[in-house]
Amino acid sequence: MFFLTIKKEIVHNILSFRFIVTYALLFCLVLLAIFLMTDEYGKRLEEYNRAVGKERQWLEKVENMEDPNEQFQEVQRASFVGSRRPKNLSILARGLEGNLPTQVNAGSWGRFIQTSEDRLSKNMLFDIFQTPDFVYVINIVMSLLALLFVFDSVCGEKEQGTLKLLLSNSVPRDIVLIGKWIGGYLSVIAPFSVAALGGFTYIYISGNFVGSNDGIFRFFLIYLISLLYISAFFTLGLMISTLTHRTSTALLVALLVWICWILVVPNLSPVLARLIAPVPSRQVIDGEKQAIDKETQLLIEGINKRKVYGDEAEMERIQSAADKRKNKLEEFYQDRMRSQMSLSQNLARVSPSASFLFATTRLAGTGPVLYRFFQQAQEKFSEAAQQFQRSMYTQDLVEWSPQGPKVKDPDWFKADNLPHFEMFEERIGDSFNEALFDILLLVIYNVLFFMLSYTFFLRYDAT
Amino acid sequence: MLSHIIRKELLDQLLSLRFAIACVVCLVVLLLSSIVLTRDYREAMSTYNMNKVMHRNDVTQRTGVQDLWQGVTVDRPLNVMNVLVRGISAELTESVRVQNGNRMDFLEVYEQNPVVPLFPEVDFVFISGIIMSLLALAFSYDAISGERESGVLKVVMSYSVPRDTLLLGKWIGGYLALIAPFVMSFIAGLVVMALFPEVEIGTDNFLSIFALLLLALLYLAAIYSLGVFVSCRTEIASTSITVLLLVWVVFILAIPNMAPYFTGQLIPAPSRTSIDRGKLEVQQETMRLRQKMMRDEQERSGKEDVWNDEDFQEKLRIFHEEREAEAQKIEDSFMAKIRAQTRWSTYIARISPLTSFNLAALDLAAAGINQEVHFVDALKEYSSTWGSYSDEKSKAWQDFMKERRSSGSRMMFTSADMEQFNNMDYSDYPRFTFTYMPFKDRLQSVYKDVLLLGVWNVLFFMLAYLSFLRYDVR
Repeated sequence: MFFLTIKKEIVHNILSFRFIVTYALLFCLVLLAIFLMTDEYGKRLEEYNRAVGKERQWLEKVENMEDPNEQFQEVQRASFVGSRRPKNLSILARGLEGNLPTQVNAGSWGRFIQTSEDRLSKNMLFDIFQTPDFVYVINIVMSLLALLFVFDSVCGEKEQGTLKLLLSNSVPRDIVLIGKWIGGYLSVIAPFSVAALGGFTYIYISGNFVGSNDGIFRFFLIYLISLLYISAFFTLGLMISTLTHRTSTALLVALLVWICWILVVPNLSPVLARLIAPVPSRQVIDGEKQAIDKETQLLIEGINKRKVYGDEAEMERIQSAADKRKNKLEEFYQDRMRSQMSLSQNLARVSPSASFLFATTRLAGTGPVLYRFFQQAQEKFSEAAQQFQRSMYTQDLVEWSPQGPKVKDPDWFKADNLPHFEMFEERIGDSFNEALFDILLLVIYNVLFFMLSYTFFLRYDAT
Repeated sequence: MLSHIIRKELLDQLLSLRFAIACVVCLVVLLLSSIVLTRDYREAMSTYNMNKVMHRNDVTQRTGVQDLWQGVTVDRPLNVMNVLVRGISAELTESVRVQNGNRMDFLEVYEQNPVVPLFPEVDFVFISGIIMSLLALAFSYDAISGERESGVLKVVMSYSVPRDTLLLGKWIGGYLALIAPFVMSFIAGLVVMALFPEVEIGTDNFLSIFALLLLALLYLAAIYSLGVFVSCRTEIASTSITVLLLVWVVFILAIPNMAPYFTGQLIPAPSRTSIDRGKLEVQQETMRLRQKMMRDEQERSGKEDVWNDEDFQEKLRIFHEEREAEAQKIEDSFMAKIRAQTRWSTYIARISPLTSFNLAALDLAAAGINQEVHFVDALKEYSSTWGSYSDEKSKAWQDFMKERRSSGSRMMFTSADMEQFNNMDYSDYPRFTFTYMPFKDRLQSVYKDVLLLGVWNVLFFMLAYLSFLRYDVR
């Protein structure tokens, strides 16, 4: 009986108009999204490779210089610029990939300047509309289609009178519900899986997973999380269907829930978090730091004017006190930022949509953690560049003469000692562990909705 | 008869569950968005005021003549319309360092809350464009097919009611029911905004808000007409909603979002970084060629100080002009590609009524592409004002330097020399004033999109009418 119910549900869905619509829509949207984002990623990768090639060319030029003095001057003049490699999984989940600069100047220390040319020389429609990647299609379109598939599975049958007929047989209600769930869910994920497979084939053929299996595993995990997410919405639709007695009511309730959960809750959460846990702007913090510097400078100037023996210690004490105050200010800023970030994430998690987005972007390496990795890499890069430049003068490397620097050791230059911009690559296991909380939330949503629909269906009036 | 049909349709809708849902959704979302965005605006206002004072003090506390070369940091005044429409600027406040010669640096710090860019803002444009459009479909999907299914349509048509009157009556009644909660919630949102003393709405902004509401109503009318049209083409309400959701996904979610990427394929443009790199290469090549020219000239003339030769100076000037023209050519060709890409993206995206609505709403709120260009132009103008001020303030210094140079004395300065240039007063420096586009200009920039929305309305209604004329009511 159980298999018969599943079969009936699958056949019913496959023969329905919405199945054709879903199939066509998903196939087109998923493939189009993957095709467009693969091309976009290809362009960014090409740009990165070009930048790296230029850097390599420069290194070769410096290494091939016969005159060590000229070599020294060339390195002295160089401004170290690092390139950020685009993430290949950004094809599926672009996340914050497009929000961070692709080139980092070692001297910038976290400050990036955009000129008026930078500002206007871009297609501003990118800023107006959202990125239509694979995750966006699943998050928005697939959740809506899952609800559309299931909203009438119980109440629709009641309206038609088939539910009464079905329950007049010796079939337990739990079997009917599970059969309906399995049959309906298989009908939804079949077109999705075909589309995802098509997308995977395209990415694979275009050579974006070459080199390691990491990308393939991550793709597979994102696919599994997508199934879990679709299942959460499918079960929610089933619950709504067991709660209502008319298809029109079920449809409206499903749309209401979808609007609130997909469009309102996650999108409002960052602004709400900003209001609940405000963080002063970076400019204010910098202004306060400047004020501390000025105050310190005045105090030191005052001491300098006195010119009394032993004032050096006093000056050092003032300087270290000022440094301490500035560090405290920075810590305060970072703490507030961290708490705002975690609050906005937790508020957004009220919706499964946010959990899905956080989990998939974490696996793709393009989620909020990308900012942290970028900042760390950029700080490390700036420090390494500073250290390298300092070492050029402090290691007794050169003798200075009116004709310019004279390098003592002709083999002083080692390309490996130059600063490199490298971002931390999280291992797949670690990414999965970090995404586990959101995956667990999706599982909880699934179980909760199924339990509720089971409870409602047990008391459902089929007549 | 028309008024009877309107009344019947209106009553039908008012008593339905969807009307209750629309009331709840509109009221909750619009009010919540209004409260949250207005409070955010208030926070931004205090940040703006703080920044303004900080940047003013930064200039007025300077005393050295060389401090002028640092430029001045200015703040973009807040746009009160951001309470309704967030626009394309990532933040409500923005500080820009302006220097002489049209040089301006927009500071970007990547230390913001990274969750923010992951989600779109729930502002009036988002609510009307996405949420309300979906509700418009929920109100219209069964306007005809639903009544046919329930048999009511057959009964109504058995009376001497012309089909056009019936369709028009249904359209008006349903549309009024759809916009009633929306307009009421919008007004409630405005009242909430008015409760915040920081929100000062001038005449221009008041007119813009009114125009924004009318624009949203026009857009919703187009989507509602689309719903009625599909309802006239189908016989079962469930088919109607399936088709409509498919159309909604394609037209509202897919086309506008995919259009810029799709155009990127059709009209590829290099990245800014590669253009900058190309320009840098031209500059480096220029320096190399310049040195070669100098060496050649030194060898040819046998003189060391060839730069004092007037003919050679002229030759160098022409050479530099040519090289600059070459660099400019790279920039111009890049900008032409970007402009073409943007133009074609908007053309393709306008297949969806949402694009017309979004672009027009952004321009009406002075928070769109035109406003961005307007702001950069204002900064360029201020850059030249600051340049004139710097020149005037540093004139004595420039004269002093010229005199030193002409007398052939060494460039060493005594403390007495520097004393006169280290006690400058910059309290009279020109302040940056920026006004957002006036209402008339905003209207001028949106008329095409408004017209397009009007065309969508007429088209969908005509199609619905034609379909309904041949509709089998049995």
